[in-house]
Amino acid sequence: MYVQSARQNRAARSIRGPQSALTDFLASQNISAHQIRADADARRQAAAAAAAAAGEQATNSAEPGSEGNDEDGDADEDGDEVASAATTARRAQEEKRKKQAQAIEKIKKSKAYQKRKKDADESDSDDIADAMFREKLPPLPGQMENCEICEKRFTVTPYSRAGPNGGLLCTKCAKDLAKDDGPAKKKKKKVAGQGAGRRKVQSRILDGTYSVGAKSMMTLCIETLAKNIDLAVELGDLPAPLVDKIARQLSKRRLLTPQSLDLFLQPQCEDVNVYDGSRLSSYDYIRIFQQVTKLKNLKIRNAIQFKDDVMAYLITRNINLDGIHLHGANLLTEDCWRTYLEAKGEHLKTIKVYYTDKHFGDDLVASLRDLCPSLKRLKISNNQKVSDKGVEHLANISTLEHVSLDLRTFTSTEPYLKLINSIGSNLRTLSVKQVMDLDDRVLDAIHENCRSLSKLRITDSEVMTDPGFARLFKNWGNKPLTFIDFQRCRQVDAANPRENPHLVGLCSDGFRALMEHSGKGLKHLNVHACRHISQAAFEDVFSAEKEYPEMTHLEVSFCEDITDFIVGSIFRSCPNMKELNVFGCMKVKSVRVPRGKILVGVPNARGMIIEGFED
Amino acid sequence: MDDSAPSRYITLVSSDDFEFVVLRDAAMISPMIKSMLERRGPAGMSLLEAQTGRCAFPEITGQVLEKVVEYFHYWYKNRNREDVPDMDIPVELCLELLMAADYLQLDSKS
Repeated sequence: MYVQSARQNRAARSIRGPQSALTDFLASQNISAHQIRADADARRQAAAAAAAAAGEQATNSAEPGSEGNDEDGDADEDGDEVASAATTARRAQEEKRKKQAQAIEKIKKSKAYQKRKKDADESDSDDIADAMFREKLPPLPGQMENCEICEKRFTVTPYSRAGPNGGLLCTKCAKDLAKDDGPAKKKKKKVAGQGAGRRKVQSRILDGTYSVGAKSMMTLCIETLAKNIDLAVELGDLPAPLVDKIARQLSKRRLLTPQSLDLFLQPQCEDVNVYDGSRLSSYDYIRIFQQVTKLKNLKIRNAIQFKDDVMAYLITRNINLDGIHLHGANLLTEDCWRTYLEAKGEHLKTIKVYYTDKHFGDDLVASLRDLCPSLKRLKISNNQKVSDKGVEHLANISTLEHVSLDLRTFTSTEPYLKLINSIGSNLRTLSVKQVMDLDDRVLDAIHENCRSLSKLRITDSEVMTDPGFARLFKNWGNKPLTFIDFQRCRQVDAANPRENPHLVGLCSDGFRALMEHSGKGLKHLNVHACRHISQAAFEDVFSAEKEYPEMTHLEVSFCEDITDFIVGSIFRSCPNMKELNVFGCMKVKSVRVPRGKILVGVPNARGMIIEGFED
Repeated sequence: MDDSAPSRYITLVSSDDFEFVVLRDAAMISPMIKSMLERRGPAGMSLLEAQTGRCAFPEITGQVLEKVVEYFHYWYKNRNREDVPDMDIPVELCLELLMAADYLQLDSKS
């Protein structure tokens, strides 16, 4: 075989003039320049034929009637296609040959050719024309080429771009060129893409802002405004709730800058809510007090630069705040807090302090009783300094109506008992988070003392028991609560996760008693990870004859016994339900969600299916 | 006109006397317009607007009202779709539209 083909090659070889040194060298290395050229030709031809065939096929399928006019019109469909493909290939080859011949003719007429011919007059004229024709062809994929712009050598690929003068470009130059004229093309693509997209929809479901149909016009306007906030000079006389909405929207993308802060500082305002102050400096905070002279309520989140000198300035001004809400103000020292409370504490009704490590401790809490005689609402969240002692001091502040504690120190039951026994009767809000060690005595104390409670939160207790919860709600003289959060009050034992012999945490009986007592008025209920509430308890509570008209938010994530049936029952029993969370409820599979309600955390890829929308 | 079924279309008039004829159902997204067109008012009488199907908005310019009307139909067209592309709000009209949206109570989802 090999011998034969070699002879063929030799026979096909035309008689040429003297060979170049390179060809000689290649020949000595057993590489035939002719072979390379023949291979390249074959590759090029195959590619052209394939392209032509594809083109032909496309036209054929576009006009099926014309196909039969070929010589083998009576053949069956498959044969017809093959035959037509073969003829088209042949035709394309012929065409190509013709074109090549034309091109060579053209080259022969050109000046460059005449000049070259003169230079090497004894060699074959066809050879020169042939060589010049090859020079003009674009390099093949896989070959090396010099980039037209940077003149570096690079490998040609099918994706290599043509430069402005027809040559090819290396990847880097092609990218640079694409950058220059790219945007126009990209914009077109965006317009073509319709709809908000699955990702966006899922994100809105998690945000709880999902609804069927278009967004409200106000939302659209506020979003547009937030995107272009740098263009706004002033907000005019928009109503305060609207301004607040805009402020919230800005914080979503951390857009509140010293410039855009000015939009929210109206002299007649009483409330300033800075939802994200991470880009503001101490000076910007001082500016708030300079411009908003009637300030009553100040709320700043991420108030990193709210330092001693800002507080010192606030003390010197004639501003008596009703409420102060500081989040993350870790540079504010305890001494400064004390000075402020001594100077202005008598007006304060609300103090909310979030995320402080060192500077809001037991001593300060102890002095609140004397310094803030009208304090009604106190929230200390994510605090590393207040301990049992501080909680005990709270028991002395008889004016308190709302207490929220989320302490990072390890607290025990006794101080809370003292707190509830002394001021429990006034309390409307009691929220204690992450209290691993609180036991049933606290529940009993609430049952004994609290009569005007409307919001109750106790989370992460690992000691409270189901009978304790049941005792709390049975025959309790308190009106129905509107907000209950008992998340993660459950037994924790990695070795025996399912068994719960001592009925630790909120279980079936507690849950039944809870809904019996508060179901009528309850708006928010969170029993996240109360794993031992049984299927039967859920089915009883959400049975057909029971209705909970106020319930809007329910969180039953990681309650293992929630099934499709229970989810359906919940939607039936709670006609005003807005959002139901079922993360980790693996028995929820394909429940239909009524329109206008949101089911978050369905444990499959398809997610929430709205009734009437399944296809 | 009073006793027969009301027309499917209503007319909104801007401060500079541009008139927009809008599908009644689409305009009902605005609680404000809805209450203006209530057939039975609090005293058992309907307002002039309800009788004529014409609502005048002396605070809203034609330019803004045009966009509002566009929104009405955009909302109406998409009321049953799950995956709705946002309508384009021209930046220069944004604040005025916001005022109009507030006036027409277009903030709640219905």
